[in-house]
Amino acid sequence: MDTEVIIETKILKKTFKDFWRRPTVEAVKGLNLTVKRGEVFGLLGPNGSGKSTTIKMLLGLLHPTSGEIRMFGSVPSSTSIKERIGYLPEVSCLHRFLTPLETLMYYASLFGLPRVEAARRSHELVAMVGLSQAANRPIGGFSKGMARRVGLAQALINAPELLILDEPTSGLDPIGCREVKDMVRMLAGNGVSVLMTSHLLADVEDICDRVAVLAHGELRAEGRIAELLRQPEAVRYLVAGLSEEQSAALRQSIESQVGHPVQQDCPAMSLEAFFLQVIARDGERQKFEMAPFLCNKNFTIDSERKRHNVDV
Amino acid sequence: MVSQRNILRTMAQIHAIARTTAREAIQEPVAFLIMLTAVVTTVMIPLFQFNRFSEEGRLARDGGLSSMLIFGLVLAAGTAGRTVAGEIESGTAAAMIGKPVARVTFVVAKALGIFKVISIFWCGQLAAILIAERISAHFVTTNNFAGYVTDRVTLSFSAGALLVTLLLSTVAHFIRRKGFGAVAFPGIALSQVAVVLISGFYSRLGQPYYVFAQTACNCGDAAHHAAGDIIYNPELNLRVIPAAILILFVLAVIVALATALATRLQSGAAMALCALALIFGLAGDALAVNASLFSLRGVLAGVLPDIQHFWMCDALARGGKISNAYLLEAGFYALTCCVLFLRVGCMAFENRDLG
Repeated sequence: MDTEVIIETKILKKTFKDFWRRPTVEAVKGLNLTVKRGEVFGLLGPNGSGKSTTIKMLLGLLHPTSGEIRMFGSVPSSTSIKERIGYLPEVSCLHRFLTPLETLMYYASLFGLPRVEAARRSHELVAMVGLSQAANRPIGGFSKGMARRVGLAQALINAPELLILDEPTSGLDPIGCREVKDMVRMLAGNGVSVLMTSHLLADVEDICDRVAVLAHGELRAEGRIAELLRQPEAVRYLVAGLSEEQSAALRQSIESQVGHPVQQDCPAMSLEAFFLQVIARDGERQKFEMAPFLCNKNFTIDSERKRHNVDV
Repeated sequence: MVSQRNILRTMAQIHAIARTTAREAIQEPVAFLIMLTAVVTTVMIPLFQFNRFSEEGRLARDGGLSSMLIFGLVLAAGTAGRTVAGEIESGTAAAMIGKPVARVTFVVAKALGIFKVISIFWCGQLAAILIAERISAHFVTTNNFAGYVTDRVTLSFSAGALLVTLLLSTVAHFIRRKGFGAVAFPGIALSQVAVVLISGFYSRLGQPYYVFAQTACNCGDAAHHAAGDIIYNPELNLRVIPAAILILFVLAVIVALATALATRLQSGAAMALCALALIFGLAGDALAVNASLFSLRGVLAGVLPDIQHFWMCDALARGGKISNAYLLEAGFYALTCCVLFLRVGCMAFENRDLG
């Protein structure tokens, strides 16, 4: 992972005010964050903890009450740095009379992409998010999950260096969730930094390198997931192919060594992994393919993540 | 060189946002209903004209221009409410500002997109006014007829064109899956413009103009009307066009005002304030009379555009003609108002939190 800092906030505060400028809610209280290139960073927290507010301040949509934000070393209101950012809002707010292709062409034009290149990227992204069949239907008639896929595609139209995803898997089916997670890891492997929020802790655990936990606008915990979740007082052995007798003997041996009872169970796969395995059995789940224009080099999913992926 | 690239990029963004805004706005059923209601009401005015007092067509003209102003205001303020206030509420604006789009670009592009919708409406409504004035009872004398004539042929063409437009829009919606409003809204305007152009080929009595089938024209110019040529004589009151252009200027000012208000207010509030601005603007001359600069009347007269300058119905009725110089002057005044309102709108939007 690169050491280049992409996002940096210092003592960031945001207080919402009413019509008379009286403070109503202190949404973010002195937040210090750093996100580096190629890192997948997760913002966790309950509703109203300040996750979306933080993201909106990073994008220059909300004005901080105090504190400092640097994005690529510049202030967030600068339009030039936004050329390097892809943003998926919490709610996919798209023009309902436009089709997915028209929507992507529209967003491509905001980035000043040449028409031919915009058309190529739009088609590739529509295929990537699995909407080729609905490419020419108005978005107004789409389900929440389909609209979310269009939202995801528009966030990638500029091949961003920084992807900001606000609840990216919200409204998606388990296959869609898995694809989003695969995509995020692939992008991160290609040097793209990702900042995401999610209520789904399993999603964050699956794909984030580091997380920050917010509550009532305050940073409660921050660090690498492996370090945060490690329980040093407990040790787990994973052994395959033990018979019942061998297992009982091993347990007895350990208990005699440590002097207290030992807990024994069988490892279980996650419900998501089980679901995807069942779907894959029916041949319904096809392999996720990244849009070619986003593939500058071969993506790899690091081995630490493989245990969650039923395809490997 | 870099700044030139930025300017070109900004122009492209303005074009893209304005085009999408217009496309979205005309597909809203309410936009189509406003267009249809305004055109049908205007074209039907002559049918309810019972007293003439030698002012043939005045009721149609005045009614049509009033419809243009009132329906235009509703369309402008409503569209601004939906496409600016609505998009800020729904988060679409935030998604756009999350891209490399400056807030000023967003406001200006939205105003231009709304103005594009208003311009299409204006074309349809102007055509409807010209049709209405042509339809309304006029005294006609020919070799074998003298009396008041209501041009029922043009009325039939206008109604038929509307029906064909609605039919084609339905077919396009059903077969090609195009948005009904996307076809019907400009279609109504186009159909009425076509009726205006076609109406030049026949008289108010519905007879095609004389076809020089046998001999050349006897106007003295051999090259003028050759045998077989058809005379094109649009019996239209073209003096309405400059008056309608002045109303287009007012609508442009209302678009700018509505866009500026919608950056901070909800749709209904923006529409109400636009209506107030129109009412006080029409009373601009009365407000300014003997008003001190710091009185409420003085402030209102100073801040609001004086819409009396753009309302020329009485001048038309007296046979007046609006000069090009006046149009230019009024256009400059309207442009100044637009720039001022949009500047205020940009300032208001610049500091707004997009939550």
